[in-house]
Amino acid sequence: MSYAKPTPQTFSVEDAWKPLPAGFWRVDTAQHLLRRMGFSATPKAVKSALKKSPKHSIEQAFKPNALMPKSEALAEFESTIHTRYREIYGGDYDSDQKRIMSNKLRREDEKLFREYAMDWFVYARDPKHSAQEKFVLFLQDIFVVERPTVKECYALYNLQQTLREGTTIDYPELCKRVSRDPAMVRYLDLNKNTTRKPNENFARELFELFILGEGNYTEADIKEASRAFTGYRIKDRTDFFFQRNLHDKGVKTVFNEQGNWDGDEVIDITFRQPAAKTFLIRELIKFYLTEDTVPETYIEALGELWASNNFNLGYLLKTFFQSRLFFHPTYRGNLVKSPIHFYLGLCHDLNLDVVPFDSRLLRSMRIMGQDFYNPPNVRGWLYGEYWINSTTISGRRQIVDYLFSKINEKNLNGNEKRDLKRAREEKRGDFLVTDERLNQVLGTAVDDLAEHFTSYFITEHSRASYLEPLQSIMNDSKSEGATRRIRNAIIALLQSPAYNLS
Amino acid sequence: MKDLPLTRREFIRGTGGLGFLAFSGFAPSFLAQSALAQTPAPERDRSILVIIQLAGGNDGLNTVVPHTDDRYYNLRPGIGLQKNLLNINEDLALHPACQELYHLYNEGNLSIIQNVGYPNPNRSHFRSTEIWETGSDSDTFQREGWLGRFLDNACSGSPTADSDPAAVHVSDMIPQSYLSDRSHSLFGMNAYGKFDRSDDPADLAYEKLLQADHIEGNATYLQQTMMNTLVTERRVERIIAKYKAQANYPNTKLAQSLKRVAALVHANMETRVYYVSQSGYDTHANQLNNHQRLLSELSAAMGAFQNDLNAHRKDDQVITMTFSEFGRRPAENGSGGTDHGTAAPLFVMGSKVKGGLLGSAPDLGISEKEDLEYATDFRGIYSSVIDKWLEADSSKILGDKFDHVPFI
Repeated sequence: MSYAKPTPQTFSVEDAWKPLPAGFWRVDTAQHLLRRMGFSATPKAVKSALKKSPKHSIEQAFKPNALMPKSEALAEFESTIHTRYREIYGGDYDSDQKRIMSNKLRREDEKLFREYAMDWFVYARDPKHSAQEKFVLFLQDIFVVERPTVKECYALYNLQQTLREGTTIDYPELCKRVSRDPAMVRYLDLNKNTTRKPNENFARELFELFILGEGNYTEADIKEASRAFTGYRIKDRTDFFFQRNLHDKGVKTVFNEQGNWDGDEVIDITFRQPAAKTFLIRELIKFYLTEDTVPETYIEALGELWASNNFNLGYLLKTFFQSRLFFHPTYRGNLVKSPIHFYLGLCHDLNLDVVPFDSRLLRSMRIMGQDFYNPPNVRGWLYGEYWINSTTISGRRQIVDYLFSKINEKNLNGNEKRDLKRAREEKRGDFLVTDERLNQVLGTAVDDLAEHFTSYFITEHSRASYLEPLQSIMNDSKSEGATRRIRNAIIALLQSPAYNLS
Repeated sequence: MKDLPLTRREFIRGTGGLGFLAFSGFAPSFLAQSALAQTPAPERDRSILVIIQLAGGNDGLNTVVPHTDDRYYNLRPGIGLQKNLLNINEDLALHPACQELYHLYNEGNLSIIQNVGYPNPNRSHFRSTEIWETGSDSDTFQREGWLGRFLDNACSGSPTADSDPAAVHVSDMIPQSYLSDRSHSLFGMNAYGKFDRSDDPADLAYEKLLQADHIEGNATYLQQTMMNTLVTERRVERIIAKYKAQANYPNTKLAQSLKRVAALVHANMETRVYYVSQSGYDTHANQLNNHQRLLSELSAAMGAFQNDLNAHRKDDQVITMTFSEFGRRPAENGSGGTDHGTAAPLFVMGSKVKGGLLGSAPDLGISEKEDLEYATDFRGIYSSVIDKWLEADSSKILGDKFDHVPFI
């Protein structure tokens, strides 16, 4: 089963970004939309989406939410860190004492970072937040920072919050906010950029990775632009601060426009370059639609629409996800899930809560290749096919196995016991699939079960070819060992190529 | 219980009802190719490279000790090594824990390359590891690793047409050295334990689904990678279980990792590159004991590995090279340790290496706050390995020409 790729000859550019005609709003299109915007398409969500229009689903999915709360401990750490460091380095201590004290701070930071990561998984797992958080992940792969470079956990939290607050605003405004975000200021050395010794790191990435893409600027543009971003500093380790006397007030020429520009003005000038209309759209297509190249004429057409709507991100999302091109059959069921999508999708599909053990979950994410807030380098994760190799595949299989295992409370270590106790106090639900759940389907005919599992868990492409093997794995659903056989069938399905695709 | 397929050929022949060829429709390329009995010529008996990562930053000055230089003891009044040193010439000695390495050195099977680093050194573990693994300059960023680019250059055709993994690592995660532009069959395993579960019905269920018909595109790609992994897991498990080592490997993670590598080499796997890792070198405090333990583990593991290769007459085929993201600060800190530094020596072991001491020793005429200035660029070592050992073109892989270091 395959479909010809749309080309401007067969699928007109004019129609590509028009909303899907109402008659095509069906189970398969609704599933496609929900899986791509978020992490899953459970029957319940599909049913409720079909009651209204795709537009309504998209608006709901990206509706600004209550932001992810900052934990009290994190806020406390942030508000006292400056004084605590001053105490260490200003105090009358020998180097050994200083080392012990700053190590203690580092350990606290590590602990808070892990808690923040776990809080994020719980927050993103909530279906109300899933689409938003997936888009935040997309933005984090544009505005990349790495945990080891930025270090302070609250700065990472704050940058993520800046992106979360910006999911539906104008993109130029988001770029400006990010340029003043302490995590980014530190990551791209803006705080080392001075009139006398310019640091071009930020200006280069602003052009290459945030707005225009490689080849759409000159080295001279970078040099001149970095002068406009002088004076950006971090105060007390936590806050952005513009130090006027460090700012280069001279005349700069950026993209042939001359003036004594400041950083925000350079961002505005950059958005007047033609490449600004299409760069982010190409990234969006790679993240949400396909790894294959999409004809440039489609991209340019959307670019024009986006630019004439002030580069508004909310507009872009709404237009993109409603479009006929997005729903084209050739783009369905062929995108490799990211490890985060894979795991949170499992939680949705199996109706499970997030695993409460930070060491287990965060390590699994690392093995699968998506270590929380720690992409390999400034270009971020490459997504798609790049997620897949024998090591990461084993990691994906292991987490599925784990979700169907039994917890042996005697074997838990102290931290895990504490985590489990806390999860129970918070009345969080199951995070592993129990036999009791599986037993509920005992007695149902295996061809019905196979039909049910394939329509529930995977996209349409592999349904037909998976039916027979699934039935043969289960054999029957009554005789001895049926629970185990059904469990094996579901595990195999969740580890299969089809389930790894969205 | 029925026999499980252990090779792709068996997988395809479909013993025990696996019958892949039995159904029409789309056959994933590697299966189709193997089925035509046109398997590409196996690359057996080719040169093999084993990399040992010393993670955390190995202290070079306490590995190759300049024990006649007063400045060394001035910089390190507390942790400067004095006793039981293993002299390699008048001025330099190996750490007392390096008995096996010392023996290898004296037999001419170990090269010590001194003072290796790169310009504008970075002192972050992560960034400097990335620089070593990608072979980039310290101010440029590359995704692909140097060995990944070697695979891109050396391995022709679809990776799935090979029947063995192109590269193997003994660790949870893929080392960045292996990241490549094109996809190659990589295989990762742990130092301990079983990973093949082919006696588990859950695994058989998985295998059954894998053989279903998949549409072209990423589904086929996933299917191929998954099948490759499964087949390789089984082969590797069997090889490891059957392997009779001819040396005493200590029960350390590093030694057990190398034992597994030896088993795969002995089985004539087509794999050209292996990667193992030893961690713990970030010795900021109480370095003397920790470093002693680390180096003795390293030395014993490398010694056992080489003995094993010798006994199996595989020594002509393998060289083993260490690397660490940086050396450590020449002056000790206030906690009996050392902070992040720059250049350090590295070892290359094998019966085909020339042996001896190469490169110039670091200059200790520096103040307490200063770092060592490297003398040999690590990419010169890579280029020698690539050109002279792996027989590929280093300028294509490293993007530049670097002076060879004559250890091969």
